[in-house]
Amino acid sequence: MTTAVSRVGAVAAPARRVGKLHREGPAAYLFLSPALLFFCVFLILPFIFAIVLAFSDWGGFDLSTLKWAGFSNFGDVLSFDGTFVKPILVNTLLFAFGSVFLATFGSVLVAYCIDRLSFQGFWRVLYFLPVVATVVAIGNVWKMMYQPAGLINAVLNKLGVNSVGFLSDSSYALPSVTVVHAWASIGGAVLILTAGLKAIPEMYYEAAEVDGANSWHMFWSITLPLLRPALLFVLITQFIGGLQSFALIIVMTGDGGPVNATNVAAFEMYQRAFKFGAWGTASAMAMVLFVIILAITLLQLWIARRRGEETS
Amino acid sequence: MKRRGKFPWFAYLVVILGGVAMVMPFLDMVMSSFKGPGEYGVIPYKLLPSSFNLDNYRDAFSQLELGRLFRNSVIVTVSVTVSVLVTSSMAGYALAKLRFRGRAVIFRFILATMMLPPFLLLIPTFLIMLNWPLAGGNDILGRGGDGGLTTSLISLILPFAVSGFGIFLMRQFMVSLPDEMLEAAKIDGANQWQTWRLIVLPQTKPVAITLGLITFIGAWNEYIWTLLISSSDPDLQTLPVGIQLLQSFLDPDRTMPIVMAGLVISTLPVLVVFLLFQKYYVRGVVLSGLK
Repeated sequence: MTTAVSRVGAVAAPARRVGKLHREGPAAYLFLSPALLFFCVFLILPFIFAIVLAFSDWGGFDLSTLKWAGFSNFGDVLSFDGTFVKPILVNTLLFAFGSVFLATFGSVLVAYCIDRLSFQGFWRVLYFLPVVATVVAIGNVWKMMYQPAGLINAVLNKLGVNSVGFLSDSSYALPSVTVVHAWASIGGAVLILTAGLKAIPEMYYEAAEVDGANSWHMFWSITLPLLRPALLFVLITQFIGGLQSFALIIVMTGDGGPVNATNVAAFEMYQRAFKFGAWGTASAMAMVLFVIILAITLLQLWIARRRGEETS
Repeated sequence: MKRRGKFPWFAYLVVILGGVAMVMPFLDMVMSSFKGPGEYGVIPYKLLPSSFNLDNYRDAFSQLELGRLFRNSVIVTVSVTVSVLVTSSMAGYALAKLRFRGRAVIFRFILATMMLPPFLLLIPTFLIMLNWPLAGGNDILGRGGDGGLTTSLISLILPFAVSGFGIFLMRQFMVSLPDEMLEAAKIDGANQWQTWRLIVLPQTKPVAITLGLITFIGAWNEYIWTLLISSSDPDLQTLPVGIQLLQSFLDPDRTMPIVMAGLVISTLPVLVVFLLFQKYYVRGVVLSGLK
């Protein structure tokens, strides 16, 4: 009797699930409809539009005047006598690599050290403050501190160093802005790395201690290898952020100056589109930057996977 | 964890030096906001103002029309946050708890939406807002008007009204809610809408606070899009944009302390909200690292 019941149940269960699939389908799509509608209008449509614009010649206003231009926009953008490849793309890469290097190095060091202290929550909040502040606050405060009569030059003068025109000297401007971007991104990275550090089993360290390893050894042979997933996430998101960010540059240098010294690709795209109405060229720039971001992201994933296979 | 290694003094040194570098700019911002005429931008530099009078704050309110900026910021931020919370919890519920054809595909699509960098969609989204049908004098094909949706605060809300990250966060949380609870509601005669409203929503409070906080701070600080939209219509400026534009056309040494006062006022609300709920914010950032 019991077997019969359970057999009936076994047959009935999948039948019920199919019935449910039909019953829950309409409700599910109703719940999803605001999101799906949104993504159609604000994601799929603009994405297609972005691709179309990059390959067309268009003066704006009326879509019927849109003309197919093939790769000519890309030719204009990537030609070597223009300013886009050098200095703008070069600046973009220097800005991204520089700030990712500084922020990653800084956040690993800080997260590792905080992990050893009391009041860890307090320290983490402290480092997270710049993430909460608006880019307008960060940009203006640093601009103020970089001025000839600002805090940083005052400290340099005390140390016997001459004042530096951080934002007015074209050889210092890009590094100066890069440092601020790194400073502002350390806090977020510290949080993620902390989660990674907490996930490392304590017994590994205990075993290493028994073997007589010092803290330096432990950091290199336990912490760093086991932190790799968190580190990879930090690197990838920081690179994506660094390659496309230009809000800080608008706030700090206004026009990417002095003479393009701090101009980056996404900012140039913004200016070309909204200042000069060069929609085609600007969209081609956006595509080039998008491909670069994609390539750098995939490259990091590929390197990480190869490394992973070698060690395991 | 604390006893590992023999050099906590080194850790303290690093963390405190770094902490000073983190706090110093904010301290300089607050101090400069009190500096009177002739005190700012002079050598030798002094961190402390001669007195803590509130003249710059009064000037910030009158010159910046801070009240108007504040009102716009609040309207946009609250609308975006509410919208993201509602749409994320609805979509998240469907993806976590309802069975339907296409669920896996839609979930993967939501994940993919997070990969598209915002700058790529900046130009086309602006053109879409400009040519929005039946808005700002446009005809049904989105032609003829002057400005379309870009002349209204809606243009600052709509492009941020749904968040792929929010849906993902909600879905991940709701998957772990026990099915028995939902079954029980169904047996009691609740329909899907009632189940979501009365059973699921109250359970999602912790993740809703996390998502609300991340969205609130992001919307409050949003800069590039608002700068673009308000460039033709200053009535749409929010706090960050209005404050930034003040100093570009006036004498910087005179206006910088007023700008700093404005920045202190605009940073305070986020700072307070963040400090009150920082536990939730921290968890959200950590969760986002696990996708």
